[in-house]
Amino acid sequence: MSRASLGWLAADYHLPATYSCRLPLSSANSALISPAPGPATVRLALIRVGIELFGRDVVRDSLFPWIRAARVLIRPPERVAISGQVLRAYKADEDKGRVAIGESVIYREMAHAEGAMTVYFEIPLKQCGMWETLLRNIGYWGQASSFATCLEVSECAPETNECAQSLQGLGEYVLLQPFFSCILSELRDSQVAWQEVVPPEETPSKTARNPLKLEVYVWPLQVVMRAGGSTLLARSTFA
Amino acid sequence: MLHPPALPVYELTINVRVSWQAHSLSNAGTNGSNRVMSRRQLLADGSETDACSGSIAKHHHAVLLAEYLAAFGIPLCRACQQRDGRRVAALVEQPEFKKLSMEHILRGCGLCDVHGFLVTAKNANSQQGTEARSKLTKHSLVEFSFALGLPGHAQETLHLFTRSGDSKEGGQMLMKMPTRSGDYALLVRYTSVGIGVDTDRWQIAIVDEQQRRDRHRAVLSALRDALLSPDGAMTATMLPHLTGLEGAVVVRSDVGRAPMYSALKGDFVTRLVAMQSDTCLVYPFATVDAFHAIMQDLISSSVPCLPASCHAEQQQEGEK
Repeated sequence: MSRASLGWLAADYHLPATYSCRLPLSSANSALISPAPGPATVRLALIRVGIELFGRDVVRDSLFPWIRAARVLIRPPERVAISGQVLRAYKADEDKGRVAIGESVIYREMAHAEGAMTVYFEIPLKQCGMWETLLRNIGYWGQASSFATCLEVSECAPETNECAQSLQGLGEYVLLQPFFSCILSELRDSQVAWQEVVPPEETPSKTARNPLKLEVYVWPLQVVMRAGGSTLLARSTFA
Repeated sequence: MLHPPALPVYELTINVRVSWQAHSLSNAGTNGSNRVMSRRQLLADGSETDACSGSIAKHHHAVLLAEYLAAFGIPLCRACQQRDGRRVAALVEQPEFKKLSMEHILRGCGLCDVHGFLVTAKNANSQQGTEARSKLTKHSLVEFSFALGLPGHAQETLHLFTRSGDSKEGGQMLMKMPTRSGDYALLVRYTSVGIGVDTDRWQIAIVDEQQRRDRHRAVLSALRDALLSPDGAMTATMLPHLTGLEGAVVVRSDVGRAPMYSALKGDFVTRLVAMQSDTCLVYPFATVDAFHAIMQDLISSSVPCLPASCHAEQQQEGEK
């Protein structure tokens, strides 16, 4: 399909409670978080909602080729406050084939947002209705208790300097210092296979390729306050 | 009043501002000191506020739900009968549970079905003589947010208590413990369409409508109780005074999400009511008894929806 037949959908999400989108490479027992979901989280959420609404076959055959290849941009909320929380959790210890599960103290950052977060998704305009349905039905990002309510979906192109950018995509001579950066996941490439993303029911093989790659992303968010273990970020634009 | 005779519920949210006085429902430990730290969360407006974790609310709901499920004659797995929070994952190392399937788990335990579980995948290890295992997982159908104190409407008082040590030699020690009072914003989401359904593949494991309906009634009954009879940490000596409950129950009666809006915003009920439609029903309430009445109506007259993919399959069969 040619670029001319593509257009941007913008979906605004209200994040009504604290949420926690864990950074890749950060331990589940000591979890650092991203101020908003990354591109792989958006794609996986669309797959999950697609299976709920249309069934696995439709998603695999019709939607997945678009979901894996479409351009995704994410504009974070206006303000994001991040606090560390000490929580009680189960911890599995595997020894000689036996898994013992005990209780442990874990650390997890939680975020609270002010203002809507916007996901921009470039889709074939002819199927606009179906993509709008998918975007409207995303109820959480990352962790299931990271609630999200879609407020509006409209045709609207992104202001790229208000959206998270990969370090490579930022280009030269962009001042990085004041902005929040972190590692995020993205699909390995636009040809990643369905079986790699949604593995078959059989026991996973050790040789399966990782469908994700890791990249450093920079968010158009600047630190406006640090207090104890908490950080307050406010949205601005890349110069 | 709700729609007779049966209101289909795809998803339901409870958006509330709840008032608790003199409680210590959720804490952040002692940090090695003799002072119990209350849980704090920085908000996006720059204020730091009191918080209660959703984990403790979920645990409370699971305990209540197990009682209702048992009373309704719905089976529980051996782990859930003993209130083991790992649920079916606690059983997988036992020989008779080596070949567990998703259908078997969902049919055999109402609590695993509703509150979810995680059986991790494992590769075979010939040296240790262990077999490979597939990952089996179901997300919880009932989810709780952190309860966040409304800035300016949550206060804390420190009390000095005496406490005995672990042993005779430990003697008596002094502990500082906080009691907190305030109005809290709390959200609950219940994805009722997932009752008896493998929500990774959206395949139905329980086709018996009555069985699904009984599980649904049990979930709603436990949700009602969880809000009207607060529970959490330190309730043996600091049972909270519940002094107010206002907000809105939102029911999505067909496929889609039931909206949620934080009670940190003063106009949260107005915003939710503005989203009302034929398939998005909003029931505002301003008192504990009004909330109780709404939940009673839902318990007696609502049924869990079937997944959208089942409707499509039924339609295709009908066309054939």
